[in-house]
Amino acid sequence: MDAYFYIILAVGLLSTIICAVAGIMNKAPNDATILSVAAVELALLVYLVGSIVRVSSGEQMAGEPWEFWGYLITALILPVGAVYWSILERTRWSNFVLAAVGVTALVMAARMNQIWY
Amino acid sequence: MEEAQDVTPQTPVNKTDAAPKAQSKDTRNTGPGRLLIAVYAVFAISATARAGYQILTKFNEAPLAYLLSAFAALVYVVATISLARPGRTWFKVSVAAVLVELIGVVVVGALSIFDSVNFPHETVWSLFGRGYAFVPLLLPILGLVWLYRRRPSVNSPSAGSRSA
Repeated sequence: MDAYFYIILAVGLLSTIICAVAGIMNKAPNDATILSVAAVELALLVYLVGSIVRVSSGEQMAGEPWEFWGYLITALILPVGAVYWSILERTRWSNFVLAAVGVTALVMAARMNQIWY
Repeated sequence: MEEAQDVTPQTPVNKTDAAPKAQSKDTRNTGPGRLLIAVYAVFAISATARAGYQILTKFNEAPLAYLLSAFAALVYVVATISLARPGRTWFKVSVAAVLVELIGVVVVGALSIFDSVNFPHETVWSLFGRGYAFVPLLLPILGLVWLYRRRPSVNSPSAGSRSA
């Protein structure tokens, strides 16, 4: 597990906790929950840029490259889709949808780390 | 025609949790249903990608397991789409998909323990979905609870307005 994973682990867990607590408190998606998911997206973008740099500098990943990139691109789409969906219906349940993003992102980051090393 | 009584399948008209229940029971894409659909969508994407990868690269190693992977992916896709759609037909499709999923995860989960030769622990449903934190086992149960709570009632106006 590298630093990228631990960044996503921290940001993802924090985002999930913020969104789940907001959902439990019966709040609609607000700045705090949407920005926390945006932070997950940012962490994933850092992973993307870092991975592009590493590959272009000649580093080889252990697993299938296209599997790694498939995970990364899918992970990048999830926060965007969840935020869009949460704006369509502004209820507490949309916060639980947002809460699912952080956990999913960290599971996918763990898998990406496994593929790389 | 069956979508006529619900002209707003995915639009932001439902501001509160109470409103959709009062309006129409023939949709399942609001409130908790949205979370359910979101989780189903994630499983549909990941299961499809995984099954596609397994079949394209190493199908001969365990054909049965990988065909099951593909079948599971299909079930998740159908469940996701049908849960998101309004109307009675889609409700029935949802019930069927979620039931197949429940049977699948229980049967494959049991087989993967007793017959590990043909089921080398590489489908979503293997070991009752342990590789996915048992979410595959939990999901159909929550799905059935949600479908039951949002079932189209027999004497509701939606039954008549369908043909009107």
